[in-house]
Amino acid sequence: MTNRSLPRLLQAPAVLLLLVWMLVPLSITLYFSFIRYVLNSLRRPEWTKPALSNWRGFGNYEFVLNNKDFILAIQNSLLIVCSILILTVIFGVLIAVLINKIFMGRGIVRVLLISPFFVMPAVNAVLWINMILDPVLGLQGLAVAGINEVIDGLRTLPVLGGFFSMWPEIEPISFRATQTSAYAVITMVTWQWTPFAVLIFMTSLQSEDQQQKEAAVLDGAGAWSQFRFLTLPHLARPIAIVVMIQAIFHLSLYAEIEIVSRGNGNKNLPYLIGEFANNNIGAASATGIFAVILANIVAIFLLRMIGKTLMD
Amino acid sequence: MAIVSTNSNISRYGRPVLAWGVALLFFFPIFWMVLTSFKTDADAVKPEFLIWFTPTLDNYLNLTENYDYWRFATNSVITSVCATLFTLVVGIPAAYAMAFNPSRATKDILMWMLSTKMLPAAAVLYPMIFLAKGIGLYDTHVLVITVVSLINLPIAIWMLFTYFKEIPKDIIEAGKMDGVSTWGEVKEILIPLAWGGIASTALLIFIFCWNEAYWTVRLTTIDAATLSKLIEGNRAPEGLFFGRLSAVSTAAVGPIVVLGWFCQKQLVQGLTFGAVK
Repeated sequence: MTNRSLPRLLQAPAVLLLLVWMLVPLSITLYFSFIRYVLNSLRRPEWTKPALSNWRGFGNYEFVLNNKDFILAIQNSLLIVCSILILTVIFGVLIAVLINKIFMGRGIVRVLLISPFFVMPAVNAVLWINMILDPVLGLQGLAVAGINEVIDGLRTLPVLGGFFSMWPEIEPISFRATQTSAYAVITMVTWQWTPFAVLIFMTSLQSEDQQQKEAAVLDGAGAWSQFRFLTLPHLARPIAIVVMIQAIFHLSLYAEIEIVSRGNGNKNLPYLIGEFANNNIGAASATGIFAVILANIVAIFLLRMIGKTLMD
Repeated sequence: MAIVSTNSNISRYGRPVLAWGVALLFFFPIFWMVLTSFKTDADAVKPEFLIWFTPTLDNYLNLTENYDYWRFATNSVITSVCATLFTLVVGIPAAYAMAFNPSRATKDILMWMLSTKMLPAAAVLYPMIFLAKGIGLYDTHVLVITVVSLINLPIAIWMLFTYFKEIPKDIIEAGKMDGVSTWGEVKEILIPLAWGGIASTALLIFIFCWNEAYWTVRLTTIDAATLSKLIEGNRAPEGLFFGRLSAVSTAAVGPIVVLGWFCQKQLVQGLTFGAVK
């Protein structure tokens, strides 16, 4: 065996497996997206088997684009992903800067902070929507009931009672409802992924040039200008990476949405695909191709960024 | 460092207090889940037993009866262990070749591997189900293990690659001079040096396999269903079973969270593909 063929041979299984993994299902999706293919149809039983004779051209794509759920799903995907990105980056930077110095129990603080990241998504969603956010029995419900009770008590006060009786009863928010379920998803995913951002920013902060900082202090730079002109530029790259990686993960968010509201008024693109796939495989596949395009736009940026630093 | 840290009392005491506050806030939901798991279902929804209650182990003792927990847990263990091993068996040779014998295509291959990770799962779900049912593998361990391995393979190769790259090439060259065979090179030199990297890659991949919640749920019904599927199946207990649900959730995430504490550093490298150091 020559010197050059052995490395190729060692890489071959991984490359071939990933090639099959990527090409085979994707080609089938592409094929299904151009034919009429449904799981059940009494009227047109010939559509229940995938076949070239059921060719529909771009009909499935047209159908999807004209479906009002599709636009909603895209909007919702973007709302959820962008909110999570903004929140995790802001919290992540603040917390990373906060714990970047040595203090008592820093190790334990790190351990506590990182824990949410390792909770499996299904447990995360079940925990938040039931035990914490439930409007009656969750902590939210109990807290709202408690506050209302206190206000009720204050109403009986001799003089101030009149003032408090003008206060309305507080209503708990139902996060399973149509308009609010996206916020529940944003909350729980932000909780899970802020630790990830913290961890990466913290790692990056440790390589920050301390001498430069000391020089800045000697020059009379305040804490804010140090942060603004030294720390933040230093974090620019890690922030970009956190944004990209999270974008990829959150564009395919599914378990949380399924558990919180079963997609009720809160579909994202993967959820819509799942819904179409209950019967209309053609439409589901066309939507899938749109999702691939969306993910690729994000991926190109990420790969460029990582590619630059790969070989140094 | 000395200059920066001689600040006022606020930064000396305020920072630790604030940091602890934030950390406890983030940990609170997990703490609450564990606390609730020691309450009876009836106590769990009563405000008067919010913090003071008579702890009970019943929820844990009845895990099998209430949820058939061990069957799902066994499936999770089988899936995660086998998928991790399979990932390593395929990934280590590939990463080794790319780190020690890089060619002009290596960078592109690595990039391409990473790009497979970005394929939205939902887009290929139905073809996968179609194929799996076609060849009779739907709801089997083989299928779930294969799929979970493949989605983690790019990350594993990247992590291993960044570790292998750190190993000085001179050592390998010296071994070659001494006439060590390729296998001897791997066994005597590479594995002892790369052991730490391989172990942390394995740990991280294991965690990802355990927490996988899309394919494991969609490609199984009963036989190969993992803990993700079990929890998702009990999504809305409407307050009736908070105690037992907390117990099963704690049992599902507890080991992994503890395992995660030990591989924080590797997580950074693994998830940023070595781009943040």
